[in-house]
Order: sequence, then C-alpha cells, then structure tokens
Amino acid sequence: MTTPLLDVRDLTVTINRDAGVVTALDKVSFFVNPGEVLGIVGESGAGKSITGAAIIDLLVAPLKRTGGTITLAGERLDTLSPKAMRAVRGGRIGFIFQDPMTSLNPVITIGRQLCDTIEAHLKTGGDKAKKMALEWIERVGLPNPDVQFKRYPHQLSGGMRQRIVIALALCANPALVIADEPTTALDVSVQAHILQLMRDLHRESKTSMMLITHDLGVIAKMADRVAVLYAGRVAEISPVGELFNAPRHPYTRGLIRATPMPFANGEVRLDQIPGAMPGLGKTPPGCAFNPRCFKVEGDCRAAVPPLTSRESSAFSCFHPLEKEIA
Amino acid sequence: MTTVVNAPSAPAARRSRFANLRRAMLKAPGATLCAVIILAMFLYAFITPLVSQNPFEFAGMSVLDSFIPPMWMTDGVPDFPLGTDDQGRNLLTAMAYGMRTSIIVGFLSVIIGLLLGGSLGLVAGFVGGRVDAFIMRLADVQLAYPALLLAMIIDGAARAALGAERSVATAITIVVLSIGIAFWVQYARTIRSSVMIERDQDYVSAARITGRGNLSIIVLHILPNVMAPVLVIATINLGIAIITEATLSFLGIGIPVTSPSLGTLIRNGNNFLQSGEWWISVWPCLVLVLFVVSVNILGDHLRDVYNPRLKGRS
Amino acid sequence: MSAGDFLTLDHVSKVYRRNQGFLERLKKTDAGGTRAVSDVSLTVRHGETVGLVGESGCGKSTLARLVSGLMAPTSGEISFRKDAAGKAPRLQMIFQDPYSSLNGRWTIEDIIAEPIKVHRLRQGKAAIRARVDELLVQVGLSPADAEKYPQEFSGGQRQRICIARALAGEPEFLILDEPTSALDVSVQAQILNLLRDLQKNLHLTSLFITHNLSVVRIMADRIGVMYLGELVEEAPSEELFRRPRHPYTRLLIDAAPDMDTSDRSLHPIAGELPNPAFPPSGCRFHTRCPFAKDICRNTVPPQKTTEADGLYRCHFDLDLSNASIVPPSANVKTA
Repeated sequence: MTTPLLDVRDLTVTINRDAGVVTALDKVSFFVNPGEVLGIVGESGAGKSITGAAIIDLLVAPLKRTGGTITLAGERLDTLSPKAMRAVRGGRIGFIFQDPMTSLNPVITIGRQLCDTIEAHLKTGGDKAKKMALEWIERVGLPNPDVQFKRYPHQLSGGMRQRIVIALALCANPALVIADEPTTALDVSVQAHILQLMRDLHRESKTSMMLITHDLGVIAKMADRVAVLYAGRVAEISPVGELFNAPRHPYTRGLIRATPMPFANGEVRLDQIPGAMPGLGKTPPGCAFNPRCFKVEGDCRAAVPPLTSRESSAFSCFHPLEKEIA
Repeated sequence: MTTVVNAPSAPAARRSRFANLRRAMLKAPGATLCAVIILAMFLYAFITPLVSQNPFEFAGMSVLDSFIPPMWMTDGVPDFPLGTDDQGRNLLTAMAYGMRTSIIVGFLSVIIGLLLGGSLGLVAGFVGGRVDAFIMRLADVQLAYPALLLAMIIDGAARAALGAERSVATAITIVVLSIGIAFWVQYARTIRSSVMIERDQDYVSAARITGRGNLSIIVLHILPNVMAPVLVIATINLGIAIITEATLSFLGIGIPVTSPSLGTLIRNGNNFLQSGEWWISVWPCLVLVLFVVSVNILGDHLRDVYNPRLKGRS
Repeated sequence: MSAGDFLTLDHVSKVYRRNQGFLERLKKTDAGGTRAVSDVSLTVRHGETVGLVGESGCGKSTLARLVSGLMAPTSGEISFRKDAAGKAPRLQMIFQDPYSSLNGRWTIEDIIAEPIKVHRLRQGKAAIRARVDELLVQVGLSPADAEKYPQEFSGGQRQRICIARALAGEPEFLILDEPTSALDVSVQAQILNLLRDLQKNLHLTSLFITHNLSVVRIMADRIGVMYLGELVEEAPSEELFRRPRHPYTRLLIDAAPDMDTSDRSLHPIAGELPNPAFPPSGCRFHTRCPFAKDICRNTVPPQKTTEADGLYRCHFDLDLSNASIVPPSANVKTA
C-alpha cells in the first residue's frame, strides 16, 4: 500500500457558543493517496466545508480545531506556526472556493494576482513569472491571454472567473488541491466545462485533490474514492464504483436513492429519508443517523459505531447493508 | 459552509423573548442602570404632582421663602432640600413639574416625528418612483437647516398665525409640532430603506398573490418588520427632543413660565447665576443632563442589540 | 381558448427597462433594456403540471411572476379560464427561498390562516384553527407547530409551511418557483414526494419552474425549455427526454452529471451563456450550437409543431434521440 499524501486522523472541530461548546467535526479520519481524487460528500451542516477549512487552518471563530493530526507528505500541519502555514496555503496546498468572486481580489488584475502567487511560492519573478501566468491563463482555456492578463475579475463571467481561480490554485504546483463546491454557483452547462478542465489539469499534473460537494453526480464523475459525512462524522469511505453500486451505510444508500435522475426507469417516485440531519449540538446519542435509519437497533442508540474497514470500504455502522443490495 | 455555522441561531420567539431581555440586562449593567434612572425620574415626575401643591399656582408660592439655598449650606432649611427660587418655590417640587412637562413634550414630539416621518418613509419606500424622489428631496432640503433653527422658524410662524395671546395648551402644542416636524427626516429615511428591502421579500409577494391590498400589506406585513430600528432611533431622539425643547424654552420661545419645563426653570435661574443663587439653574441642568445621558446610553445599547449586522457576534 | 385550456400565454414578452438619467429622459431616447421574456406562447390544460426549465437568465422566474400577476407583461396576453360567474381562478405560489417567504413576526397559525381569511373560506375562529391543523397534518407537520414562529423551523419544514399556506387558499392554480432548489437532497426528496401526492389527490393545475431537469421530469406532465428568454422547445415529459427536437434540450439533458460511474464522460455545452441583455441575432442558441449554419446566424427560426403535441424553434428537423449524435464539444476550450 502506498503512503498517503494527506493523512487526517481524528480531526475534531468545536464551536464555542454562549450556551456551551458544540462539536462540529467529531474525530474525522481519512487519507488521500498521491494522484487521487477524494470526494467529500454530505448535506449542508454535515461538516464537509469545515473539514477543508480545518486542513488549511482557515477556520473562522467561533470554530476551533481542538484535536487530531493532519499530515501532508510526512510533515505535521496541525503543529505548524501560522507563518509556516501561510507558506503551505497556496503553495503546497491550493484551494478553490465555491464563490469565485470572493476568492479573487476585485481591485487587482488577474494577471497580477497570478504573478503574485507564482512569485510568492515558486521564488521566481519578473518576466518569468509573467510568462508562467500567461501560460496558465491559456491552460485554463481563456482566449487571448495577453488581453485577459490586464483584466479585472468583474470583467469576466462566472465561468471564466472560476477558471482563473483554478489557475491560481494550481500555478504554484501544489501537492494537493482542496476544491470546495467548485461548481455549485455555476449553471449546468458551465459546470461541465469546469469539471472537464479540473479533470484535464489533474491528469496532466498528477496533483491530489479533495473535492468537496453536495452533488452526487459530480462525485460520480470526478472522484476515485468518496467519504460520506453525516452530522460531523464519517459515515462511509468507499471507492466510487462501490459507493454507488453497493453502499454499505444506510445513509449513503438513502442519499443516492433520494437524488432525482433524468433517466430513472419505471417508478419515478423518490425514496426519501425521513426527518432531517440533526442541527449542531443536537446529535442524538449513539449513531447520529439512528433516528432516520430503517435498520436501527438498540446498539445504534447506545454507542457511536467506530469507523471499521471491511474489504475496500470503511464505514461506521453496526448493521451495514449487504454487498448485493444496491 | 462556514456561513451555515456562523449564522445567528434562530432569533428567539415569543416565549423566550423575556428570558432574552433578562440575559441582555445582565450583560449590559450600564444600560440597565440607565433604564433604572429613567424609570425613577419618570415616577418622580409623575407622582410628585399628585401629592404636592403646585408651586406655579399662586397658592404654592411664598415670597417669604425666596432664595433659600440648599439645606447643607448656611441659611439652608430641611424643608427645602435643594433650596428655593425667586418666588419661594421648592426646587425639588418645581423640578418634578418641570420634568413632567419636558417628558410629555419630548414624548409627544417624538410621536409626531415618528408618525409624520414614518408614514412619509413608508409611502416613499413602498410606492417608489416620483413620489419617493419628491419626499426624499424634501428631506434633503430640510436637512440643510439645523433642526433647532427649523423648530424656531415653525414656532415663530405659528405664533404669528395664532397671535401672541395663547393658552398653555396651545403653546405646548406648537412646541411639540415644531420639534416633531424638525425631526421627521431621520425616521423617514430609516423606514424607507427598511421598507424597500421588505417589500421585495417573498412573503409580501405571497400576500399579494393571496389577494391582499397595498394597505393591509403595509399595515400587517411590512410595518411589524420595520419598526425595531425606528424605535431605537426614537429612543435616542427622545433625548434630543427634550434638549431642543429646553433650548427653545431657555430662549423664551417655548413653554410659558406658568407651566414650566426644565428649560424654563434653567432660564429662570439663569437670571440669578451672576448674583450667586446658582442652585436655581444648576439643579434643573443636572437633572436634564442625567436624563438625556441615560436615554442616549440606553438608546445606543438598543441600537447595538437590534442592529442585525452586529447580531451573533456577542 | 379551447375547452380544456386553463391558462394561455399569447406572445408574452417582458422588457426590463434600464434606468435612464435625467438628461436621457429629457432627450426621450429609447432606453432599450433586457428582454427577460421574449414572445412566449404556452398553454396549460386543466389538471396538468407544466414544467419550465432553463439556466440562469433564461426568464423562467420572470415568467412565473408574470403568470402570478406580480408583474405585468410588456406585450402579449396572459389569460386564465374564468368560472361561470366570470371570476378568475384563485392562485397561490411557492417560492425558492423558504426564509424570505414567511413573515418572521407572524405565528405559523396566522401565516397559514391568511389565505383562508382573505378568501373567507372558513368562518369563525374555531373553524379556521381546525383547518390550519388539518393543513399542518397534511404537509407532515403537527398541530402543535401552529403556535410557533418561522424561526424555529428548518428550511425543509419552512417549505412545508409554505405549501400549507398555498393549500389554505384552496388554489385552482399553483405556481412553484424552484421550490426545492434551496434544500438538501434528502429533504428535497421529501418535499417532491409531498408535492406529487398533493398533485394527485387535489387535482391541481400547476406551473413548476426549476433549473433541474431531473426534478422537473418527476413533477411535470409537459416540459418547456427556455433559453435567453425564449421558449425553445415544449413537449410531453417522456417525449422530451426520449426525443428532444432542439439541440439545446439535448445538450442540457447530457450536461448534468448522472450517477453512472462506469461512463465518466462529461458533456459540456460549448461556450458560455451570452449576456441576456444582448442576445445573439437569428437563433439565440447559434453561438453554442454544434449544428449551427449560416441561416441560424441571420434568421430567427420558426416555431414548429410535432405530431406528439410538442413545439420547437429550430431551422432543422434533427433526430436527437441518441446522445452520441451530438458532435463532441468537450474539446472546444474557449470560454
């Protein structure tokens, strides 16, 4: 087995509120292999974005990382000083956010922003940085790089802006890219472009990627392995084919069956999961999914099921689905 | 996703509002103290006239007791703890009457300003277009004049129209109207901007599709949602209105001496400041300052509490 | 208007005028503006759900507001079937944002009772309260919730309250504007199932607007596809998916990634959405269409009807029933 590039163990994030301390991420563990795309999927409030932010130490108060280890290529990130972390961010770890407008500086030309990133992390400057920036503008598929170089973010469409954000994330040759809902703000037809671009660049550069999204369709097309989060915990981690064809955690199957698909055969009624995900601080004792689960038994209410590996999957469930049930 | 986490927890509903108030009071002891001071002054101003002789009626005066200094000074007597004025009125009692007038004038003028500015702001924000442009330009023009000057102009115009001879009630009405009209702009602007946000909300569209007319949409749906910031402004303006009234009265164009306000008392005492009888004007001054400062601190605090942009940060 | 028709849109357009400066107004220059909805004709029959899909800026939400009467069309006519007394049917609408569509100062009881009171559907306090309780149960909430305020509910529950409010008005026509777009997948499934049950049981006629083809497929009997303000195709749901006539419909169906992990190909549509304020000449889709010829650039395509009771706007009669027919556009890199 290869050594993972990113190894996250027991990552715990809490929120300090007037009323007390609430757990937002509860001992989340996963790893990303070199060159792999790990999908992180979950509904809003599951903690998927917090996971991404915690890895690059971008949590905003009242969120606070209170436990666990984060290792990138053998180096502990969780113990780095804020200054050393700044060099990792944008350097060894690139990131792509949902809203391209907030991740670009509106008063600086996109060319300058690219050059700044390249100069800061690759220790080159002047014409060489500019040449690289122009190359990146072309690589992400914008016509006339010379013209684009001098433009400001507001002069670009949403899809073009997201392309520039991708260029910014990749131009320092990072080992890992964290993409948080990179296509959620975009229209369907533009979304497919951006996904295609991310896939092409990923294949060229062999960068590892953490793809955070709520969209199972995006996961099915992009990810190699998938971690399903529920209420701040990992419900299941499986290779993408197994996850969709033979999910082991009842929540995973519920989520897949609840998603409407255009070519569903016969019965078009959706399988629904009753109830809703517990809010922060309202996680029931035992398995967080137990009030909504059709396989619930006494032990589910008594203890939190540990994440256990079986065959190629890992899941936290006392009564997992059999492999043939799909 | 951090937005989801940082979103303010659901604002409390009816039941927990009371508990929230109590927690807010414990968090802000300064504002709570101010609220207590305001309440105490209210009670004093409105209960004293019920149990004492009005010092501004002939029977309440006693020239023999005039110019008695506060009780701890030589010549002071315990009957008049804060001393007496030129007509021998007990200043402690006189100030209760003065405060009562000031508070009544302050409240009424705030209500007038609120009604006038509120309705104009509602119309401007809801109707929009030319009506909005007209009302807001009017507001801009008015803002070019200091509020005090404007109140004096309105007061003067009313006097000219009604003649110099007028009853206490007429005088108070004129002062209330002048101050109210001088301060409508702030309410109008605040309400207008809130209304412009609310009128495009889907719940308003839903009510419209259901068949509600403009008037009931404004009264039932929009008004309850735009009142909080305006009430905060009203609190702060109460202090300003009382100061304005005091200034008008001090200048002799406000409330007549027969039914004095704090401003009238200060003006009266001002005549004797040079001759050493400082207490006649200093006590009403102190009371005025204490009341207005308390109202302002409370108003500032309410603004912080109700400002949605500051919500969730505490 | 034929007997079964409930709602007809006849060449409806809506232009958003640009705000003119004072001098421009004096000069009386033409402001121009964005044609958000352009020459849309559509019929909704009694008891039918018509879906409208399209990407942002296609005018679907503007069309919803026009039909609801919140806005008046710039030209064209929207007419509802009137009853024997000549009265227009009762409408209700469900909105996308479950947070802004409930008045936070009202209790759930007051919110749901509003249409009942306005239309005088029940008389007396007790009767109204009984009806509110009944509606709450019908949408999967409990009568105890009537005392609460909207802030105490999650997005999905709020959408249930919105549905209860809409049903309280006993509408003959329901407009749903992206009712599940703000919701998570598992909650969306609950709401869609609830809406489907209600459609079946109450025989509602409705207009369902969404950007999600999979959702509209579940909900609608007939589907209209909009692009830059125009209705480019309209057909019965099954037919639209089995045999789309307009290239845009075909590309839109393929563009959304499905959950098939064996075929991981992506199908982007070439180019980006043009600015709706300056739509391309001729056929508005020609800048992105793999089949575009000269005629598409210059001539507005006619509206054609199909034997399967559909219509489309394209110069050609393309067979698009199979995805592989569309030339691959993935290698078109220009944005």
